[in-house]
Amino acid sequence: MRGYKTYNRKKIVVVFICCTLAMTGLGGRLAYLMIYQGEYYTKLAEELHERERSIKAARGKIIDSTGAVLATNRTVCTISVIHSQIEKPEEVISMLVKELGVSEETARKKVEKVSSIEKIKSNVSKETGDIIREYNLAGVKVDEDYKRYYPYDDLASKVLGFTGSDNQGIIGLEVKYEDYLKGEDGIIYTVTDARGVEIDKEGENRKEPIAGNDLYISMDLNIQFYATQLCEQVMEAKEADAVSMLVMNPKNGEILAMVNVPEFHLNDPFTLLTEGEATQDALNRMWRNGVINDTYEPGSTFKIITATAALEAGVVTTEDTFSCPGFIIVEDRKIRCHKTNGHGGENFIQATMNSCNPVFVDVGLRLGVDRYYSYFEQFGLLEKTGVDLPGEAGTIMHKKENMGLVELATVSFGQSFQITPIQLATTVSSIVNGGNRITPHFGVEARDVYGNIVETFKYPVKKGIVSKETSETMRMILEQVVANGGGQKAAIEGFSIGGKTATSQTLPRGSGKYISSFIGFYPAEDPDVLALVVINNPKGIYYGGQIAAPVVKTLFENILPYLQKIDYTK
Amino acid sequence: MAGRRNRNRKKEEYFFDYTLLFIVLFLLGFGLVMLYSTSSYEAALDYGDSAYYLKKQLLSTALGIGCMIFVASRDYHVWEKFAVLGYIVAVVMILMVLSPLGHEVKGARRWLRVGPLSLQPAEIAKLAMILFLAVLVCKMGKGIRTWKGFGLAVGSAIPICLLIWQVTNNLSSAIIIGGIAVLMVFVAAPDYKRFIGLAAIVCAVAALAVFLIVNNAKAQSEAAAADGITQAEEGIQSDAGFRGDRIIAWLDPEKYASDEGFQTLQALYAIGSGNIFGKGLGRSMQKLGFLPEAQNDMIFSIICEELGLFGALSIMLLFIILIWRFMVIANNASDLFGALLVVGVLGHIAIQVILNIAVVTNTIPNTGISLPFISYGGTSILFLLSEIGLVLSVSKGIRLNDVG
Repeated sequence: MRGYKTYNRKKIVVVFICCTLAMTGLGGRLAYLMIYQGEYYTKLAEELHERERSIKAARGKIIDSTGAVLATNRTVCTISVIHSQIEKPEEVISMLVKELGVSEETARKKVEKVSSIEKIKSNVSKETGDIIREYNLAGVKVDEDYKRYYPYDDLASKVLGFTGSDNQGIIGLEVKYEDYLKGEDGIIYTVTDARGVEIDKEGENRKEPIAGNDLYISMDLNIQFYATQLCEQVMEAKEADAVSMLVMNPKNGEILAMVNVPEFHLNDPFTLLTEGEATQDALNRMWRNGVINDTYEPGSTFKIITATAALEAGVVTTEDTFSCPGFIIVEDRKIRCHKTNGHGGENFIQATMNSCNPVFVDVGLRLGVDRYYSYFEQFGLLEKTGVDLPGEAGTIMHKKENMGLVELATVSFGQSFQITPIQLATTVSSIVNGGNRITPHFGVEARDVYGNIVETFKYPVKKGIVSKETSETMRMILEQVVANGGGQKAAIEGFSIGGKTATSQTLPRGSGKYISSFIGFYPAEDPDVLALVVINNPKGIYYGGQIAAPVVKTLFENILPYLQKIDYTK
Repeated sequence: MAGRRNRNRKKEEYFFDYTLLFIVLFLLGFGLVMLYSTSSYEAALDYGDSAYYLKKQLLSTALGIGCMIFVASRDYHVWEKFAVLGYIVAVVMILMVLSPLGHEVKGARRWLRVGPLSLQPAEIAKLAMILFLAVLVCKMGKGIRTWKGFGLAVGSAIPICLLIWQVTNNLSSAIIIGGIAVLMVFVAAPDYKRFIGLAAIVCAVAALAVFLIVNNAKAQSEAAAADGITQAEEGIQSDAGFRGDRIIAWLDPEKYASDEGFQTLQALYAIGSGNIFGKGLGRSMQKLGFLPEAQNDMIFSIICEELGLFGALSIMLLFIILIWRFMVIANNASDLFGALLVVGVLGHIAIQVILNIAVVTNTIPNTGISLPFISYGGTSILFLLSEIGLVLSVSKGIRLNDVG
């Protein structure tokens, strides 16, 4: 024990105690980090380790009343690159350029960008996806998902609408029923190492996607097909700019067909039908649904409304007699009848059959601005119809305080204001169905992927906008119009059809452009089906009674038996 | 002298510190398991062999155990005459790092390389320092009580410290060697005041340095903000160099998560996500490349992540028991030379354990200090085991009837 003193031992103990204290302090620090701050750091660490990938939910189908699928999904691929896993960047870039047609600059930028995952292109066909998979390049990811597919391509294109790159509805029913159709995307949480390589043993956490609900609509594929054919025929024959047709059930507002030719290709909605640059403006024009988005001067078909208002107000009866000299003077204006030498003496029914302007001006003036306006409002013409399609246009009407007698006179026979075709069809439906203002619609119900009804859609009905008597009278008058009056070309032997023709000059007057239309319904006594056809800018003969009425006739000839309105056993 | 001691022992009860030996062996085994767990994923990716690091470490460990047995079986007084030689060899080897034999790993020139063998002179210097100081203090006798003796003893460490700091740019090893020296002198000298004063000066200097660096960084960031450049964009670029940066990152690692604070923050993620019982052996996520070089200085954070607070505290307890054994052996050593050798080893291991855990838990600024017996590093394990051999040799000199 040379030179070894007690103080040496003491000091060694001091050193040990100091070390123990320091270790205890660090133990406390560890406990603080691992217990008190553990949750915080665990969360940060998990965020660092987890990668999220979404699984697209299958979008709901759109199914018509016959059970035909109008919109469904096809498997497509999304190509992405994971920067940290790429081993041969040059090969990846040249592959992307070759297979996906992206520019080399874009491909290089995305490949070289330091990010966890970079999307190159979505909605790539399954075939291309399989080809890319076969390259077997590290860091290239091919994810399958769904793309909207429309089996009938251009059928009812403006009604159904289409979806964008993220499968979101852009126009038509696709956007209106987005919330029902879209479903809920699932998420795959994978755990990866610092390079972004998935760790298999950790498994993956999935939140399964929930498929969207299927939308069942009232459209009838067969009627839609046939109506489209008729519209295309008349458009070609009359070299018209566009032809629209609406077929609906006037009792409940269910729309059976809505055609707007030219239709566009739903599977390729961003390519114009005509030559020219596909600007957003041009595309929007191509996508427009004329029945809903555009207004026009209804012309003589609007006499149905004037007649109804006048009968309802009692300012005219069917027996009232009039005399038409071929014109009528209102204040300082001379309004001509289309028959320049006049219809002579006629009763109100005959005047309607003749579509006599002076008589309707007279009847309108008998109502006066106040009453006329209040009926206009009562019939629901100032509001939108509430159809379940986006972008419905409102009525363009004179302000009541600005409406003089001249304005009243022109409105009486359907000019100087504008409504949409769907508004006309809905109002006429409401007049002839006994006075119930119905809401036109496609959507019937939404069902989940297992076929359970999620929701049955309900639509408002405003009862008693006209009396049952007036409604009956109007049906009788309009039946006469088809049987013996201006709508004779819509008559089918043995069928009681009601209807009214119209020919209106488009603004500006004197352009030589016309819109000819016909609205018809069957059976006249208690209508189950109503059709409106609107021919935009026909060449040659442009009278509604000559060119529009036959279209509805042909339609009815073919669809009435189909709709089983005929009892063949009799 | 040695002969007489041996004759004495034959008459006495034979003592050998098995507790110490088993703790060391356990730590070695545990360290190898943790090393494999921590490094296998990265090793498989980088070298195509998940046991790459394990194999190298196994070799060093086997060699180290050989050394330990060799040293333990010899009387520790044998080494007295090598003290000065050791000191000189250490200095020469440190200087040789500058020669073509010097080897650079990741920007740090700290190794000597001859063929497949690489050696870190700083590790040799630690052992050399312990031996040299023990001999010096014993030679001084009562001289250590004087200012001159104190100055000489502490001063003898300064050249080596400065060389390691400046030549190999390894401040942490310099601090450890300085710490070992001060600790040995502290035990050797009866005085307390000097050491309290010394500690006060060190603390004051450290505090002042931190204060100046932080202030400087603030002024810089304000100036940068005035120029419209944010710190995140520019990274930290203070005049204080990378040590200054580390101090700034220490104070707020999350702010500098992308550069200087990165490793610390990743270590904190690992520790924090361990919770009480950990994720289980082998189930660390942070070792999958998130915490770079986890098998080196940051292995303790992976222990925390896999084995939890429970495992981490168990390891710390083992180190405390190890230090306690050192204390018992030192207090019962047959002479001051043996006691001082043990104190030196104690200092070496205790300082490294404490500093390593302090760094990993971001208690002090980040500096590269390995965890004894567990971190990857061949030279370190070789010399640590030699030191254990020395302690075991001292323990053999204890006469059991002396043990109180």
